[in-house]
Amino acid sequence: MLEIKGLTKHFGGLAAITEFDMSIDRGEVVGLIGPNGAGKTTMFNLITGFIPPTRGHILFEQVDITGKGTHAIAAKGIVRTFQQNAFLPDMTVLQNVLTSCYLHPKSGVWEAIFNTPGYRKKEQNALHHAMEIIEFLGLDSVSDELAQSLPHGYQRLIGIAIALSASPRLLLLDEPLAGMNANEVNETLVFINKIRSVGTTVLLVEHNMRAVMKICDRIVVINFGRKIAEGFPQEVKRNKDVIEAYLGVGENAA
Amino acid sequence: MNKATQFVKPVSYPVLILVLFLIPLFTKDAYLLHILIMTEINIILASSLRAIATTGQMSLAHAGFMAIGAYTSALLVMKLGLSFWVALPLGGIASAVIALLVGYPFVRVKRVYFAMLTLFLGAVIRLIIMEWRNLTRGSSGLLNIPPPNSLNFFGLYNIVFDSKVPYYYLILVLMLITLLFLYRIDSSRVGRTLLAIQQDDSVAESIGINVTNFKVIAWCVGCFFAGIVGAFYAHFIKTLTPDSFGVLQAIYVIVYMVVGGRRRFYGAILGAFILTLLPEFFRILKEYQPFVFVGILLIITFFLPGGLADLPKLGASLVRRLKGPSVTHA
Repeated sequence: MLEIKGLTKHFGGLAAITEFDMSIDRGEVVGLIGPNGAGKTTMFNLITGFIPPTRGHILFEQVDITGKGTHAIAAKGIVRTFQQNAFLPDMTVLQNVLTSCYLHPKSGVWEAIFNTPGYRKKEQNALHHAMEIIEFLGLDSVSDELAQSLPHGYQRLIGIAIALSASPRLLLLDEPLAGMNANEVNETLVFINKIRSVGTTVLLVEHNMRAVMKICDRIVVINFGRKIAEGFPQEVKRNKDVIEAYLGVGENAA
Repeated sequence: MNKATQFVKPVSYPVLILVLFLIPLFTKDAYLLHILIMTEINIILASSLRAIATTGQMSLAHAGFMAIGAYTSALLVMKLGLSFWVALPLGGIASAVIALLVGYPFVRVKRVYFAMLTLFLGAVIRLIIMEWRNLTRGSSGLLNIPPPNSLNFFGLYNIVFDSKVPYYYLILVLMLITLLFLYRIDSSRVGRTLLAIQQDDSVAESIGINVTNFKVIAWCVGCFFAGIVGAFYAHFIKTLTPDSFGVLQAIYVIVYMVVGGRRRFYGAILGAFILTLLPEFFRILKEYQPFVFVGILLIITFFLPGGLADLPKLGASLVRRLKGPSVTHA
């Protein structure tokens, strides 16, 4: 579904990502892990077109999307969430989700100005779609609250809700569990499983290793911008390079 | 939220519009009508600026775009002998086209840097008008701009622009059309999208909103109406000099919007209304207008950050507090 070939990104003299290859199949949940500063978020920014790569290609369903604009990539079905709580703070949860249903039924400026019946129908559909997503993520009890007034756990879910309402086929989750308590983590894992079960492919960046091991079909490990390991969770866990990357090499090792 | 809107509901819009249409029947006072016309001009300016501001960009070129509309329309009528009724929309279109030309590079620049760019753009527009002497007559200005051609309705009713009254009705109609158009944008999906861009353009972009296009559209729409109102202004005041469209004028429009409250649609209208009328009734305010505006702006930012549009909400909560806890049964 997604294929990354020889992806390289330099920031000035700094090589953030070097010759990175990876692929994701339809319906998978793939984990992208690595120490802080390894280049995980840079990968997300490259895949979603926030920054252009220095070299290499990104193919989505056999189509080259390298260098395309973020909105165009989102329209093709790749949607991301953000590491920080990113939502529209001055809007209610419902308005947040409704706004992002924008992609779903496209309506033009003129239709909106003249409030045509077709436009009203689309508005109805968008509302319906938004309510579905809100119920899906269990946000219905707070749907009329201002997004900025909600506790952290809810705000992370709003981020996911916004992404889901753009009807992604590949969902990129950037540390969705960050700052959540054990209870919220478990609930969110249930949601991720549900998202997978409706046929959405997921690429997950996360530091919570227990959760990653539990939910991912496959894991890719990145360090200093290079892929150092790839495989099933159990394989990766035992990989020597991975252990080194995470724990460091001792003074008297080797 | 609902309580706040109930607070202002008694003044319903149809009544307000009717009153505006009836005013010239009661007074033909040229001075009063002149002030009302200026108020309506400023309402259009502030509301159209708000359309740009909804995307999180502050334009300091609004007076410049008004100048483009004004000079375009005046010159088309004076040099090419076009009818005012053709020149007026062309004034708006000229503004929108120039906005479009600079739009794509401009909207890539954000916030205060965008404001700086527009500041320079406004200055450049003024400079071009100053220096293109054989067309615009530079700083000596365009004089004796003809009034709008008289309107004839099937030979039954003839409107001649020989007093303030027809101007008043023309700008009233222009204002209502503008406000209706902008309100429809604001309350629709498009308005919501613009608001999303204002709050976080990365999020907006990530879910498939073409942020650049929307910013350019909002910018062009805002500049279009500034051009339209400029065209009206030219044939109403009948004299154009580059000095009428300086930085201070552009800043006044921002002040109208901020004092009124940019979050709500009627905020810009309220701000323009009050701040245009106030100096007229207190002459001393007019002489020291920049000082007074600074004062008002400071008071608003400290005590009413949401602008005057938040007053009803504030009033409602005050009433609730005064009534005390005895009426908490809901």
